[in-house]
Amino acid sequence: MKLAVLIKKEFYRFFRDPRLILTLLLPGLVIFLLYTVLGETMGEREAPRYAYRVYMEGSPQTAELIGDAAEAGGSTVEWIEAADEDAAREAVKQGEASAFLIFSEDFGDGGTVTVVYDALSEESSAFYTLAVSVLEAYGMRFGILPENLAEAREIGRQVSQGILPMLIVCFIFSAAMSVTLESVAGEKERGTLATVLVTSVRRRDVALGKVIPLSAISMLGAFSSFLGVALSLPRMVGLPGIFGGYGALSYILLLALILSIVPLVTSLIAVLSAFSRSVKEASAYAGVCMVLTVVLAVVASFLPAIGNWAFAVPVLGTVVAMQGILGGGAFVWQSLVSVAANLALSALFVFALAKMLSSERIMFGK
Amino acid sequence: MDHILDEIVRAEGLRKTFSLSRKQQRAERSGQKRKTAVDGLSFSAYRGEIYGLLGPNGAGKTTALRMLSTLIRPDAGNAYVAGHSILTEPQKVRDSVGFLTSDLKLEGFFTPAYLFDFFGGLHGVEKRVLAARKEELFARFGIDRFADVRVRDLSTGMKQKVSLVISIVHDPDVIIFDEPTNGLDVLTAKVVTDFLAELKGMGKSILLSTHIFSLAERLCDRVGILIDGKIAEDGLLSEVAGGDLESHFFALYRAMKGDIV
Repeated sequence: MKLAVLIKKEFYRFFRDPRLILTLLLPGLVIFLLYTVLGETMGEREAPRYAYRVYMEGSPQTAELIGDAAEAGGSTVEWIEAADEDAAREAVKQGEASAFLIFSEDFGDGGTVTVVYDALSEESSAFYTLAVSVLEAYGMRFGILPENLAEAREIGRQVSQGILPMLIVCFIFSAAMSVTLESVAGEKERGTLATVLVTSVRRRDVALGKVIPLSAISMLGAFSSFLGVALSLPRMVGLPGIFGGYGALSYILLLALILSIVPLVTSLIAVLSAFSRSVKEASAYAGVCMVLTVVLAVVASFLPAIGNWAFAVPVLGTVVAMQGILGGGAFVWQSLVSVAANLALSALFVFALAKMLSSERIMFGK
Repeated sequence: MDHILDEIVRAEGLRKTFSLSRKQQRAERSGQKRKTAVDGLSFSAYRGEIYGLLGPNGAGKTTALRMLSTLIRPDAGNAYVAGHSILTEPQKVRDSVGFLTSDLKLEGFFTPAYLFDFFGGLHGVEKRVLAARKEELFARFGIDRFADVRVRDLSTGMKQKVSLVISIVHDPDVIIFDEPTNGLDVLTAKVVTDFLAELKGMGKSILLSTHIFSLAERLCDRVGILIDGKIAEDGLLSEVAGGDLESHFFALYRAMKGDIV
């Protein structure tokens, strides 16, 4: 009951202060605007006219719409009926054709359209973007399956695998720092935390009363930044989308990994904040931890044959598991081990925080 | 005395030392790395009375009260507050005590009304009781006029009034106030001292520290004179002071420490 009072107070403090909300959500907005502007600028620069040669299997009217859209932009489309799928794919891969559209038999009544293209070719990428925009405008009663033939199909995967886990960890750290430092180190510095400690509420509840709501708020901030990247990065690098081609299980595992790393980072920063004499000191410690974690995430990206032991290491395991999932793997037990490791360490940090709140040397030492 | 004395606070040989930073060591000019703030403090306070810990700055008054309210632990000795040991039952002690000191601050972002409810919730006060108590105390101190103004926008006197009512939100048996009139204008100081007398009238037991002798003479039933962390003398006000607390204190101080400067 007393824990609920503490949690409610943290939420009240945050959601009643527009400045705090802005501080938390601003990075996401800035990232979105920045990447979008960059993407648009690059897009505007590269608006040449093409004479597309496109293989097609099945020929619904939709193809004509794509052709009309291309002509409206000053390009032309030459449609070639694909006799052999493999040959058509090879033609796209060799740059002899711009793309290969495969309409399923039930297209128009549900069904799918597969867009085979080469992300490394500007012409192919331009056609892909054009086709997808026309198909999306046409309606949502069918699925669009992008198939990037480029060796650097890896581009998307690399962006997803290499950068995304690191970005996620960064976002979580920066969001957790923006709320936790103020809430723990700030309250300690101002003497308002001691006012709570003089009541009969248990130290464990005070610790949980900080970590639970601050984790939830940090999650919001991290999600905002994540959304900023997710919505703008594909446009910038000309990819079908970071989230393309992943199943429900991948999403669930990614979510579980993110949900487990947020309380870990929040409780770590709370411990550092409780240990510090001021917000300034705490932010210096948290900054060092953030850099170390990002380095760990980067190192993990460059270790292709990392052992299974890594999944039991908090943060490292999460990054490796995320990379595995984004690379198309299942990584179920690995994710579960990583989630358990993160939660176990979070619990340890909460325990340490409760102990620190009881320590007069830490709480009242000058 | 025409009533049976019921011991509500008993301190038994409380001792507290702090390590000194280099800067503090230079200021102390003693070269010692540790300072004894409270040295074998023993005294008793009784139910329904006001006990005053008197002494100059640095005598150990605040440290003694912080130990009694379980904010810090003694290095040696023990104390019982409302029958609970500060060492083994700190939770129960905190439930029985309302502690007011300038070190404990209220978050400026919140309003007095919100903070009263928040701290009431932390003490487990039932909502209906809390609402009635808020109405009564806010009206008593005139806080109802600025109940919804953020604490950071209040004057020092207003903040002290809010701190005071919040410290007793759970209607504690024992009230421990550390220099409760420090920094207040005469009007607010009068409101606070009148309220202490009122609380005593309600049967509450009050322990306060002060270096203002006139305040102690006006309010306290018993006093303990604290010099260098030790109780130099304690007892009923009439026994200790013999009519003039200030002169008595200086005489004691000279006897123990020599010159005043």
